[in-house]
Amino acid sequence: MSDVTPAIKKRKLNTSESIYLVEVLKGMAITMGHVIKNIIGELKGQSTFDTMEYPEVRKPVNDRFKGAHRLTTRPDGKYKCVACMCCSTACPAKCISIVAGEDADDPIEKFPVRFDIDMLRCIYCGFCVEACPKDAIRMDTRIYEINAFSRQDMIHTRDYMRDLMAGDKPEAEQWYRENPQHSPEGFLGEVPPVIP
Amino acid sequence: MPLVKVNGIAVEVPPGTNMIEAAKKVGVEIPHYCYHPHLSVAGNCRMCLVDVEAGGRGPDIACNMAATEGLAIRTDTPKVTQMRKSVMEFLLVNHPLDCPICDQSGECRLQDYYMEYGQHDSRLADAKMGKGKRQDIGDQIVLDAERCVQCSRCVRFSDEVTGTGELRLFNRSNQTQIGIFPGVRLSHQYQGNLADICPVGALTLKDFRFKKRVWWLKESESVCGGCATGCNILVHHQENEVYRFTPRRNDEVNKSWICDQGRLSYKDVTSLKRLTGAKVDGQRAELPEAANAAALLLKGAKVGVVFGAKATTEANWAAVKLVRARLPNARAYVIEGNDPDAFTYQDEILVDSDKTPNRFGAALTASQLGSVGDAEALKAALASGEVDALLVLHDDVVGRLGVATPKALVYVGTFKNATSSAAAVVLPAAHYIEQPGTWINRQGRVQRLRKTVAPAGDSVADYAAVDAIGRAFGGAVIPEMPAAIFQELAAGVKALNGLTLKGLGHGGQLITLFAPSPGVDQPGQAAPAK
Repeated sequence: MSDVTPAIKKRKLNTSESIYLVEVLKGMAITMGHVIKNIIGELKGQSTFDTMEYPEVRKPVNDRFKGAHRLTTRPDGKYKCVACMCCSTACPAKCISIVAGEDADDPIEKFPVRFDIDMLRCIYCGFCVEACPKDAIRMDTRIYEINAFSRQDMIHTRDYMRDLMAGDKPEAEQWYRENPQHSPEGFLGEVPPVIP
Repeated sequence: MPLVKVNGIAVEVPPGTNMIEAAKKVGVEIPHYCYHPHLSVAGNCRMCLVDVEAGGRGPDIACNMAATEGLAIRTDTPKVTQMRKSVMEFLLVNHPLDCPICDQSGECRLQDYYMEYGQHDSRLADAKMGKGKRQDIGDQIVLDAERCVQCSRCVRFSDEVTGTGELRLFNRSNQTQIGIFPGVRLSHQYQGNLADICPVGALTLKDFRFKKRVWWLKESESVCGGCATGCNILVHHQENEVYRFTPRRNDEVNKSWICDQGRLSYKDVTSLKRLTGAKVDGQRAELPEAANAAALLLKGAKVGVVFGAKATTEANWAAVKLVRARLPNARAYVIEGNDPDAFTYQDEILVDSDKTPNRFGAALTASQLGSVGDAEALKAALASGEVDALLVLHDDVVGRLGVATPKALVYVGTFKNATSSAAAVVLPAAHYIEQPGTWINRQGRVQRLRKTVAPAGDSVADYAAVDAIGRAFGGAVIPEMPAAIFQELAAGVKALNGLTLKGLGHGGQLITLFAPSPGVDQPGQAAPAK
């Protein structure tokens, strides 16, 4: 095998191509063809434009689209989640971290004190939803705009994921500003004492 | 020895061995709930039903079937599988679907056997029987009567091992439930074992409640350092964090048990009392720097070395080598007794009055330097000025003896105490589950420690801390690898001759501590044999 890269042979332009004008007119003919087609379509009442005016207009997503996670609740408003950690065990990206606590008043003894998903790590595989024995986590929000200005705000916490579908979908950053006790920073502040 | 057959495989076992143990020998597992090797046979779970081919009438329960000549059982017939399925169906009739909130899940026999012998389509028409959930029956234990399969292991444990008998099976038939006598609480020191022997999630440990799912935990072998018994333990840890200690079976030492004090001593690993950095005159320093300071203090001084009954035999050996190589006129001391803050409880089951795990190891190695002084000798020597510098391994000399602190005090230890705060130089030693080494327990059994998690902070293995002083003097006094240190130790100490670290195995090796012939390795000040 030769290690010399063969030179690319350039095709010689013929006379009409070399003066460009004919080619320019050909291109303009295609553009004007579409313009006329769209005007006629618009007059007939059927839009043929492919462009959407995002974010005012959004593309409908499939019913099976896996968007941002939400946590479901029982009729009494408590989390369905019992912190069994099946989701974080199943998670291939290791992005779910749960701290379990005991609810003294509830016959279902265990509940999640913390339930954080690092959305920067999440690969949207949906294994957590599959693994959940309590139907406590779902990815049916159809939210695909998951963004923030800091890495910490990309950690979705327990109460944020509960409120995700309540009212108008809150932006993570704004929601955390209004609920500072549930912000990821709030959690990072609770690190166990360091041995001096 | 009778010859029995399990699934056609012949095996010779001691007479009286039950067939679960005989089957284990040929690698056949017979599922069981109520049978436990260290408790009496109850035979009430019926899970170990096997077919008897010859030498008896079957089907019968393997746990209560003593091996006799010509006995042949089968566990691989469709009949046996059907019996196991039926037993599982009965056991699960009233068992709640608590697995997501149950701490036992992941190490639950019901889960394990259900996957093999479960009736996966339930035929249950009636509602499950509700029983008392989340009952607080003791300081360490939570009882959930619904989850119980009435194996009665806990009843037998409290009758036979602790002799306290607080637990019973109450009521009859499907109303049967495990319970504690009214007005009684578990009060003995072995409660944690109830959670261990419970094959299901009925008895769970309060301390471990909802802390971690067990399938994430890694198990590493170690030995408990709470007292001279040296119970074998498994350290359960994940990502360098220790979550619990559980007993590891050793029929010669602790059977399958451990006391609660030892079980909960895993908390010491992250205790705020840990020494995590070297100190020189109370100021934080790097380890080599502190070792240099220690060497300067000890050089040319009238040194006394206090051998540590909490240190590994390797660390004590390193001190012997340090004295031989660099401190020729040093005197050896071993101080008996416990630290002032030690837990005082003791009993006849496991807990020893001696709260140090390696008294004999310290005595054996110290005696290599000739005469070994005791507490009084040390006090006298310090008072008269015969000793004006001390190298202390783990022992809280200052707190225990109240001796006037010599200005040159070098302390190698894991925890803060009166000695560490009085010491001029402190070298932090790793916790015993964070380093390799050996201990010699009250029986004279050499048992092996293993490094299970990384040492906290700047701490290093205790023998490495002693060796650091040697290096500061100009050269290492012991080899680097634990196996090589032990090899040297075994060659140097007569009682340990012929042992290898690998040869200690999982259960340790018994040595003859009190040889009738007077030798240099007679532990001079050691406690009498128990």
